[in-house]
Amino acid sequence: SSNEHKLNFKKSKEACLSYIQDALLQKQWKRAAEFLTCYVESLEKDYSREHIGPSEMIWRIGTEILWHHSQSSMKEFNCFIEQMKTLGVKRYLKVCLEHVFHLLLNGQIDEAYQNLSLAESWRFGEQTAIQDKEMKLIQAYRGLLDYYSWSKQKNILLEHGEDGFSDLAVEQEMHGYFRKAAVNLKEIIKIPGVWDVFVKCYVDLLEFYGDHNEAHQVLNEYAYNSKFPANPNAHVYLYQFLKRQGESKKSLISALKILHDVVPSHELMIDFNTMLQKSKKRKKRRLGLEVIFTALDYAGWKENAKAWSCLARQVKQIVISEKHLDWIKQEWSSRKDWWPAFHFSRYLAKRNWQENKSLSYEKALVAGLLLGKDCKYFKYVSHQGCKAQLKRFRMLKKFVNRHNLVYLRISG
Amino acid sequence: GCWFPSLEPQDIVYRSGSCRKLRVGKSGATLDFARQLGHFFVDHPEDAFGSLGRLLHKNFYLGNSKLKRPARNSTIRMTALMEDIDRLEARRGCPRQHLASRLRWFSHLCRDWLFEVPLGLLADCLHEELMQQWSNLLFDDSFTGGALAWLPPEDGATPVGRLVHPGGQAMNHLYFQDVVLEELPCAQGSPQQFELSGRIRQVAAARVDGQDFVGVRSDYHCGVWRVPGKTGAAPTPLQVIRTDMPASCLTVSPHLPGELSVCTQSGTIYLWSVETGLQQLRHDPQTMFFRDYSPWRWSDFTAHPRVLSCADRTGVQCLDARAPKRCHFDLFKVGEEAGCQQGERVVLPMYLGKAHPSQYLVTTQFSVYVLDERLPLVPVLKWAHMMKAPPLFAHLMPGKPGRSHKVLLGASRTQELLLLQYRGKRSSCRGGSQSACQLAGTPQKLHNIAGCLQHLPTQLPHRHHLLQQRLTAPAAGLAGTLQEDGPHKSMLIFHLSEAGDVFCQRLTHKATQPPAPPSRDEATTAPGSSPLFEAAASSPQGLGAAALRYRRWLRAFSRACKEPPRHSWPPSLSQRRLFTHRDLEGPAGPSSLQRQMRQRLRQTMEEGGRIQRWEPLALQPPPLPQTLEPAGGPDPLSTRLTAAWAGDWEQWWEERTSFSVAQRQRALRERRRRQKRAKGRCSLSASFTSSLTYQSELSELSDAGPQLLSPSCPPILSQEGSPPAGSPPLRSLPTSPAPEEALLSSQSLRCRGIPKERRKTLRDYLSVWAEGPPEPPEPLGSQASQLCIPSSQSQLSSASQPRRKRPRMGF
Repeated sequence: SSNEHKLNFKKSKEACLSYIQDALLQKQWKRAAEFLTCYVESLEKDYSREHIGPSEMIWRIGTEILWHHSQSSMKEFNCFIEQMKTLGVKRYLKVCLEHVFHLLLNGQIDEAYQNLSLAESWRFGEQTAIQDKEMKLIQAYRGLLDYYSWSKQKNILLEHGEDGFSDLAVEQEMHGYFRKAAVNLKEIIKIPGVWDVFVKCYVDLLEFYGDHNEAHQVLNEYAYNSKFPANPNAHVYLYQFLKRQGESKKSLISALKILHDVVPSHELMIDFNTMLQKSKKRKKRRLGLEVIFTALDYAGWKENAKAWSCLARQVKQIVISEKHLDWIKQEWSSRKDWWPAFHFSRYLAKRNWQENKSLSYEKALVAGLLLGKDCKYFKYVSHQGCKAQLKRFRMLKKFVNRHNLVYLRISG
Repeated sequence: GCWFPSLEPQDIVYRSGSCRKLRVGKSGATLDFARQLGHFFVDHPEDAFGSLGRLLHKNFYLGNSKLKRPARNSTIRMTALMEDIDRLEARRGCPRQHLASRLRWFSHLCRDWLFEVPLGLLADCLHEELMQQWSNLLFDDSFTGGALAWLPPEDGATPVGRLVHPGGQAMNHLYFQDVVLEELPCAQGSPQQFELSGRIRQVAAARVDGQDFVGVRSDYHCGVWRVPGKTGAAPTPLQVIRTDMPASCLTVSPHLPGELSVCTQSGTIYLWSVETGLQQLRHDPQTMFFRDYSPWRWSDFTAHPRVLSCADRTGVQCLDARAPKRCHFDLFKVGEEAGCQQGERVVLPMYLGKAHPSQYLVTTQFSVYVLDERLPLVPVLKWAHMMKAPPLFAHLMPGKPGRSHKVLLGASRTQELLLLQYRGKRSSCRGGSQSACQLAGTPQKLHNIAGCLQHLPTQLPHRHHLLQQRLTAPAAGLAGTLQEDGPHKSMLIFHLSEAGDVFCQRLTHKATQPPAPPSRDEATTAPGSSPLFEAAASSPQGLGAAALRYRRWLRAFSRACKEPPRHSWPPSLSQRRLFTHRDLEGPAGPSSLQRQMRQRLRQTMEEGGRIQRWEPLALQPPPLPQTLEPAGGPDPLSTRLTAAWAGDWEQWWEERTSFSVAQRQRALRERRRRQKRAKGRCSLSASFTSSLTYQSELSELSDAGPQLLSPSCPPILSQEGSPPAGSPPLRSLPTSPAPEEALLSSQSLRCRGIPKERRKTLRDYLSVWAEGPPEPPEPLGSQASQLCIPSSQSQLSSASQPRRKRPRMGF
């Protein structure tokens, strides 16, 4: 019966697909290509309501095969993609974008640009929301390529400018690129999403033309608009922009404060800590201690000598001044049950000593002050340091011995 | 030794002719509830009817003989009831199923008081268990994480690592095996062994401060071992915890020694420290983001030693152990942000700390995601893995700076193994140009365990079948390690099967040719080498060694399979006690008439003609005793047609029915007389009949599904030359009966006056000795009339197959 036929057809389709997948995963591109030519027949009766229909399968698999197949050429690839564009109207823009990426990877920037322009002028029926978004993406990528041309022209001009020679035509062209790029880039970053590349390029353009207000606004929006995903990079870009603009310490600190709240383990936390330590305000110095303690909680910071030296410096300061020992006490109370095992084990003392002496110095100082002179880490490192007749370590030992009672006050 | 294959769908699904239409799948399989309940009663009589059974056993009489007068007052004979039950069994699936009134009466009478556990309660429990087993068959997530761990050698030390894996018949032995990494990794010394009280589901390991901590999860117990870094140092068990609900996850902290996280199916997550004990972080039987029925929970560690991730099928959250109620954030959500498909569910999350401190791997049944906890919810990498079964195992092999990280994904039932490489640049520079996380080259499918079957020497068919069964056992874990030996870089992959075998393959790195595009993959499989113990293609001696080791394994394997457990010996009943010599004596060769007929047949065939009529037909009555049609004369169809033509069809029908009723009555009377005679002679045979269930064997044969052995039956085939699993039994040509079949056919037995019950016993008994291929089942045409009466053919063939034991439910 016809139903049975349909079932069989479906079955053989599935079997064929699994053969193709098998070949793909074993890098047998030729075999996969042969099966794919059979699979094309499945288009004939495409009743499927699956997430990915056969035509999309063919597009995806075909691209993958042509990308890896030893005998495929760019011409064939373009030909295939053109066919794919006509195969599924709903996917047209997606296929175009993929094609553009492929061209870019092969260094064919002009062709890529042409393709993007072509896609932009494409219209089919009423635009759906998805199509709209894809169109924005196409435009944004065109903007990106415009930005690329712009920055190329800019570099030419800058080089020529050094020779004291200016080319009006080139400058005109550059401005033209700027306008085209700016219009498109501006559009995409209005939509909530992660648009790091576009934002950076757009800000670069604006900054070049001195539109700092607009740039600031764009970055602010990108960082603080709650509709956007919490993106730490947005805060980083804002901070870097503010720094370039020579903004006040206060605004820099407030930018970093938010970054600290979002990603306490960010690399910029060292800058943040140094900034806060230098501050005259007690509250900020207090925050600085918290920032560096929190950063060192993370496994990625375990062997960061710079961070340890920041912590060591601040702890030492506090111990010498004998003021604000309660700060350390507060920070330490939530960590004393696991930092010793996490940072100050004998095994780590040995390894740190072997691998990085200055790291072990800083850590030993902190360990000695926080845990007392009998702590394993301190004992091992100071012993090794004294054995190696390093003056620094002898001083360290003396210092810790002198302030040995601190740890009792901290942990008490 | 041997292992017990796990439950198969056909063990619990209802199979019968009338229900064949019901599809097994989303529409719901018909689980054979009644059969399982019956198994419970038979397997655990003490639990089912212990006390009343003891009270009443004097009042029940199971024998065949008549009860004497004084006993009859207080005792009832159960034989008839048993026979009714047997008949009912034989009639399973028959559309015209009449309940025997006697059975109904009995069950009505004793339903309320006979059972130790109230029947409704028991049925509920059984039903729940059946559903559980069924969903486990569809997708068993209890092995998530895998039960194989590789403890790498310490840097600079001798290249001796350690494999930790379960083994033994019930997978309840934990082995720590030293492995020397040479050309071909080989085991050194005998393994350290711990016997545990449950099947090991997961083995997880992490190295902290130069010591390995190994966590072992079974259903209700979790344990942790410490393995000192020195080679050869003995592992020491540290602590064991017991959970009320089955644990679904156990992960070992890579940050702090002796810290683990445990999840149970009740939705509780604990941080387990060997020093301070358990700390409950969350208890929520509901899933996090939307409703999902699965009780599976998972938990892992993150970049912050106090922050744990917790996952269910709907997503992953991170929570701070210091304030678990207040501090948490969503890391991954099945939904729009990650571009998930409909029905997509989290299968296995894994912390990728060894590659990048803030990265996380999440696998679903469709895709693989890499997430960064600093930018949660939006995956930094997504790739559709195209695996046929969801990846339950994952293993990370971090690459050195500038190299790609390797992730192995493994599925259980299909044994799939997939290698994918990704490059996630460590964020070293400030904000500036970091390259995005991306796949390096295309993912690669690796050889699975079953794939090595074709490379093995040819085996005897039954041994081949056993081997195949052994090698296609679901995978239970995977591990791997990168090895750098000067210029030779390679990757060793260990693969554990549920049978407890560990396989190993090596991928050697071939430097890409300079003109090759840079995006190509860097590790390629050595071509043309055997998948098992894959060695570099350039070293034939390595291959030879692999083959040698393989042969050794094979020998051990076949030895283990050859010694059958006692109960599967062919029954050594003495023939004489059951049947007299005369009973068994067959006819002395074909009769003269038969010889004559054969000769004629042969002659006609030679001539190419046909035989219009068997002339000497009148001399011998047709040898079909049970046929309801009148023998001789024109066939019923033509008489009927003639009658219909003449217009007196109704009369014909009258006649016919009355005739057949008379015929049937005669046959019945005859049978009863014979039974009576038989009862007097031997009661043992009757009890034999009742203890054998042959009900569903008929339908079992016609179901062409793969026949696999049951959990409690070791893989032994009683016959050589039985068809391999999966191939449907032949049913086309009823060949001319061989002598012993003639002996076994019901007519010939009946002719010799062997009663019906004993006929069956005899057939079963003889078929054990019978060599040769199993008898094809009765052609379909005759099946309809025989459905309610156990047909001789089906009994014969069912007996010649390895007898399926009942799967036991988890009572």
